Amino acid sequence: MADEKEKQPVELTAACEHSGILFASCFDEESGMLYGAGTDAAVYRVDVNAEKPAAEKLWTHHDNYVSSLVWLKGMVISGGYDRKLIWTSAESGKVLRQIENAHDGWIRDVAAFPGGDRIVSVADDMLVRVRDAESGELLMSLQGHARETPQGFATALYAVAVSPDGQTIATADRIGDVCLWNAESGQLLRRLQAPAFYTYDSTKRSRSIGGIRSVCFSPDGSQLALAGIGAVTNVDGFVGPTRIEMWDHESGKRTWAAEDQHKAVLNHLTFHPTKPILIAGGGGDSGGILGFWDKATGKLRHKAKPKGHLQRIEPRADGTHLFAVGHGGFQIWSLRDL
Amino acid sequence: MNSPSISTCGSSEHLLYRRSFLQSVLAANATLQIGGLGVAAETPTGEALRRQQKRALFIWLAGGSSQFETWDPKPGRETGGPFRPIQTAVPGYQVCELMPKLAGLMQKIAVVRSLNTVITAHEPAADLISTGRPKEAALDYPEMGVVLAKELASQDSLLPDYVSFFPATEGRRRPATGFLGGRHAPLLLENSMRPGDIDLPSGLSDLEHKEREDLRQRLSSEFGNRRAGSDLVSGYNSAYAKVRGLMRTDHLFDLDREPAATRERYGRTEFGQQCLLARRLLEAGVPMVKVARGFWDSHHDNFESHRELVPDFDNVLSVLLTDLDDRGLLDSTLVIVLSEFGRTPAINKDVGRDHYAAAWSSAFAGCGIQGGAIHGRTDEDGKTVADGEANASDVAATIYTALGIDPRKDYHVGLRPVPLAKEDSKPITTILS
Repeated sequence: MADEKEKQPVELTAACEHSGILFASCFDEESGMLYGAGTDAAVYRVDVNAEKPAAEKLWTHHDNYVSSLVWLKGMVISGGYDRKLIWTSAESGKVLRQIENAHDGWIRDVAAFPGGDRIVSVADDMLVRVRDAESGELLMSLQGHARETPQGFATALYAVAVSPDGQTIATADRIGDVCLWNAESGQLLRRLQAPAFYTYDSTKRSRSIGGIRSVCFSPDGSQLALAGIGAVTNVDGFVGPTRIEMWDHESGKRTWAAEDQHKAVLNHLTFHPTKPILIAGGGGDSGGILGFWDKATGKLRHKAKPKGHLQRIEPRADGTHLFAVGHGGFQIWSLRDL
Repeated sequence: MNSPSISTCGSSEHLLYRRSFLQSVLAANATLQIGGLGVAAETPTGEALRRQQKRALFIWLAGGSSQFETWDPKPGRETGGPFRPIQTAVPGYQVCELMPKLAGLMQKIAVVRSLNTVITAHEPAADLISTGRPKEAALDYPEMGVVLAKELASQDSLLPDYVSFFPATEGRRRPATGFLGGRHAPLLLENSMRPGDIDLPSGLSDLEHKEREDLRQRLSSEFGNRRAGSDLVSGYNSAYAKVRGLMRTDHLFDLDREPAATRERYGRTEFGQQCLLARRLLEAGVPMVKVARGFWDSHHDNFESHRELVPDFDNVLSVLLTDLDDRGLLDSTLVIVLSEFGRTPAINKDVGRDHYAAAWSSAFAGCGIQGGAIHGRTDEDGKTVADGEANASDVAATIYTALGIDPRKDYHVGLRPVPLAKEDSKPITTILS
């Protein structure tokens, strides 16, 4: 058995069960603490270095689903469906700052700039808001995403990422549009269209499905990866292929697109910190998925079966571990020979 | 060219034309079943005549809408989901924040929050809710809309008795005529907002078409008297008369005749435009209209799908009720909002809600309804009915009663008397005016 395990490129080494769904996570490299939050609005913490990692409930400052967590200099910055952004001291659990109506709609994602001086949030008001990370002062509010789907229904702005050099912000929405913004001036640099992430079948069900659920810059900043689901053929669960697209965002050209037979939505993706691999997690009709794609070609190199459907993944900076949250709680994965 | 011989030319164009007419009116795959069932040839009673100004509109949320994200929010509970409740015009009653317009109109709407209809598979559940009774092997009971159309129709109307919109193919149902027979089948509008094949063939004037029809009717009557029996022929004649009526009322299906502002109010969504068309038909005297809005089956991304579907529903239904009221039609039009079931309290791994029939909601407005009445309640998590439990038969009895139709009235299927609503059904009197 030991030999077999060693052959596996990735292995689930620990899981901490949780009754609801965790949508958000962040990781403090220094302390080895993984934070997670979701449907019950509480923030939990797991010591990933512990012999038997367990989830500890810390605080409940939001009064609706928590969609995003950012670790920043000893603080956990959280965004939620209650439209609030809340800065909480990780040590004391005290609220350091709170912005009540940070957006006029559910906050879907929050990201920190590489230097830690600013944060950026996106929400269902379809706005991109850049704030001072310390004071919370609103520095820019950017508008460029469509406020409705082509069929005239509510849409959503699901994902945001900041380039490694902090110069560019990428935001992605439900109908498959990506906006690239100059992080200093707020100018809309480019619009990429990836409509394959959006399904609207007027004949079958007259309702939209999908969207770009995650966006991520490559470590060198030249590539932009998008994740979600391809054409959905049935609504009894996410019945559509996992989909990833890689774009050269400077030229505005798609490098590759990959769909897999695994029927699921990829809720989050990230680049492996030390290897040319793209990692994405999600779940759907075929069950949960933790997949590893070749960054250059889009070939699926390995697919692991997580416990439950994943919503968010966080790699350790040294590339040895991956932390995941989702339906069922926290998971700690060991990354080996990918 | 006015010679009656035109009508018997036998051209393929004419034959196809007449056949497609009948398909539109009698509905696809429907058969004409008249003989042997006293029900089909029944003439209106005095009571029926009095009812002739009453109408009904079914709004069918196909696939099963979530009661949590509409009529029965559970704020602060794990089952409640992320949407917040808002206060309505009815003191103490809250609905989901996705329905601000209907919240303001709640004094015109009654809600039943305590349905327990047991069945959680789409087809049998839709059968149950649509007919108001469990399936019986020996009784092919018609859909309630078909019964209502028959009960509310004026015999001399040239309009269709029942028009059914069902554009989405998932969950699509064609109203079953059951033992009432194909003659009571609705006009189906599935792929278009306008009935197909009601244009005259090129080169044929309306007068010529009328003369053809006169000849056809005369020949049919002679045929009926000699060989086939008058019931069969009267059925065919009735169908042809409906075709003529439909052609004359083609303008009803033309939404361009509505002011642009009205079309905008209803919204440019398919559901909005169909409800506007439904209002035009009801106003013109069509007694029964059904508008199905698909597809609410939210096994995954329940909150995303309800963010999309409920605001449209909120806008369209609120505009429709106001429009009917402004035109003096709401008091005589029963508006019924139903699905085959609701959604589970538990939120699944796909952030969805599955089928749930143990505690869910429906809404009613207009004719015979006590606006603002909120019947029944569920427990704090929405898992069980805590008070005022009602089943599908009770809903059917309520609908018949609201329209002034005795739910105990019997149809006779062969020798068997069959009441409109199941024998043990009880109208939900708290929502009746």
